[in-house]
Amino acid sequence: MGTVHIRDVRKSYGAVEVLHGVSIDIEDGEFVALVGPSGCGKSTLLRMIAGLEDITGGEILIGDRVVNGVAPKDRDIAMVFQNYALYPHKNVRENMGFALRQRRVAKSEIAERVDNAARILGLEPLLDRKPRQLSGGQRQRVAMGRAIVRDPNVFLFDEPLSNLDAKLRVQMRSEIKELHQRLKTTTIYVTHDQIEAMTLADRVVVMNGGVIEQEGPPLELYDNPASLFVAAFIGSPPMNFLEGDLVQPTVLQLQDGTRLNLPVGDRKGRPRVTIGIRPEHLTVAQSGWPATVSVVEPTGSETQITARFAGHLIRVIMRGRTSVRPDETIHLTFDERNLHFFDAAPVPEVAEMEDVA
Amino acid sequence: MTAAATVAPQRVRSQLGHRIRIIAGVLVSVVFLFPVYWMVLTSFKNQVDIFTNPPTFLFTPTLETYIEYMSRADVMRRLANTVIVATGAGLLSIVVGSMAGYALARVRIRGAATFGLLILLSRGVPPIALAVPMFLVARKLGLTDKHITLILAYSTFLIPYVMWLMRSFFLSLPRELEESAMIDGCSRYGAFFKIIVPISLPGLLSTLIFSMILAWEELLFALVLTNRHATTIPVAIAGIAGDTVNGANWGALTAVGTITVVPVVIFALMVQKWLIKGLAEGATKG
Repeated sequence: MGTVHIRDVRKSYGAVEVLHGVSIDIEDGEFVALVGPSGCGKSTLLRMIAGLEDITGGEILIGDRVVNGVAPKDRDIAMVFQNYALYPHKNVRENMGFALRQRRVAKSEIAERVDNAARILGLEPLLDRKPRQLSGGQRQRVAMGRAIVRDPNVFLFDEPLSNLDAKLRVQMRSEIKELHQRLKTTTIYVTHDQIEAMTLADRVVVMNGGVIEQEGPPLELYDNPASLFVAAFIGSPPMNFLEGDLVQPTVLQLQDGTRLNLPVGDRKGRPRVTIGIRPEHLTVAQSGWPATVSVVEPTGSETQITARFAGHLIRVIMRGRTSVRPDETIHLTFDERNLHFFDAAPVPEVAEMEDVA
Repeated sequence: MTAAATVAPQRVRSQLGHRIRIIAGVLVSVVFLFPVYWMVLTSFKNQVDIFTNPPTFLFTPTLETYIEYMSRADVMRRLANTVIVATGAGLLSIVVGSMAGYALARVRIRGAATFGLLILLSRGVPPIALAVPMFLVARKLGLTDKHITLILAYSTFLIPYVMWLMRSFFLSLPRELEESAMIDGCSRYGAFFKIIVPISLPGLLSTLIFSMILAWEELLFALVLTNRHATTIPVAIAGIAGDTVNGANWGALTAVGTITVVPVVIFALMVQKWLIKGLAEGATKG
């Protein structure tokens, strides 16, 4: 049974606590992505599930068994590392069969399982090569092959695509997804790339500063971010934010004095709020917020417009093409259902973390 | 125009730097190699040619001294002793030192860094200060003039040496290799012997050979801890050089010296080959 239960898990290095009580329940066959900026504790958590880091507090169960004191080799897990960690002195076949040999599986069965995994991943012509004779993508595939021949309870991926170039990353991303659909093995996938998390996972767990900010299906996080952090982290290009004071229940005064009329919505009694609106929810219209266009970036299928409004840079994504030119004044409107309200706070740095993929 | 003007002086300067480097290299080589050259040259001279003044480069080479000394049982035995002691001390140190180095590099032990530093600092004690107590201990245990005594004595300075060299070597390996092995079914020991040792073979062999060279040439402990059976070649050379009755026999000294140096040179060349191979191997990490 490939369930994983993480119960109030804590991790300290000396006096410094880096994980402050994290709980996640992962069902058999589920694909869960742990995502967050570097230093948020996602890799540490994964390494604790693998048994590579001690658990300071709480417990981790794989299946029905508490694995806190269990050695990595006895947890029935397979892990793919960012740098692949292929054994340089062994060829592809030996790399893939190593774990089975350690478990004293019969030679004929090892050969069969390695061949089978090699066929799935298209590694057959490479079986006799050494890792140094492989390209980055091929090494990545061997690392995955090494994991799947094991047929473990749980796959652990630690930023497996970060060392690949953008194009290959997109390709390997679909391969990982396809592999999961085929094998249906419980998978925990750590990444700092929210697009990877969104596209791959059944469920995304957003972590920040050693705690879980929010977890849920990718689109739920996208549509209903619970915090400014999640709103800023999920989505590319990121959500637009405007911070101001509610001078009246429906009037928001921005820092430069601009007053915006807001729909009646959930204010939660806060005088000072940050509103958020996704780039694709803004439309160019005859009236609305007046903004001065600074950059127009057409990509063919859509056009990204960056415009200056009330001292903020606002990003707009339009389907199709536009005749809008830089320095032109446009008016922006939106459907008020797409407006998000947050406690006023500085917009997290992650808003700037845009990925090329 | 301006580009040419700025480039030209740089080229002159770099050519000058190049020449200075070559001259420096030649000078250093001459300083280090001339004594060796002179030793080898002298070892092929007969007694008369050795004392010709001014020294001669032109003479009829003779193997007289070599034949005389190579056929002497005591010289051959000392050579054999040196091989036994150097190999024994080298092997013992590489096994113990590399495991200690691995522990220092990877295993999280409270105070490991301090512990490692203390072991290294123990090398700061002058060997002469240790030689006499070691002799007393060896005598008490009935271990004087035995191979094992020298092997253990040499290990006291070779193990820290191996430990620190291998520690930095292991630190340069990606940690994920062992972690992957441990997830794949190895214990910490299994990961070390099945993955780390094979990968580190070039580094281990180079370090082994360096250690053997150090043991091969060691004089002080050999002088103090052995007197007849387990005596090594450096002691023999010291004996020839310090012969106060007949005066130093230069022919013998240089011939035995040359015999001693030849294996060291061969070893050093092997190390060089392995070191380069080791560096190239490291490039496959990414």
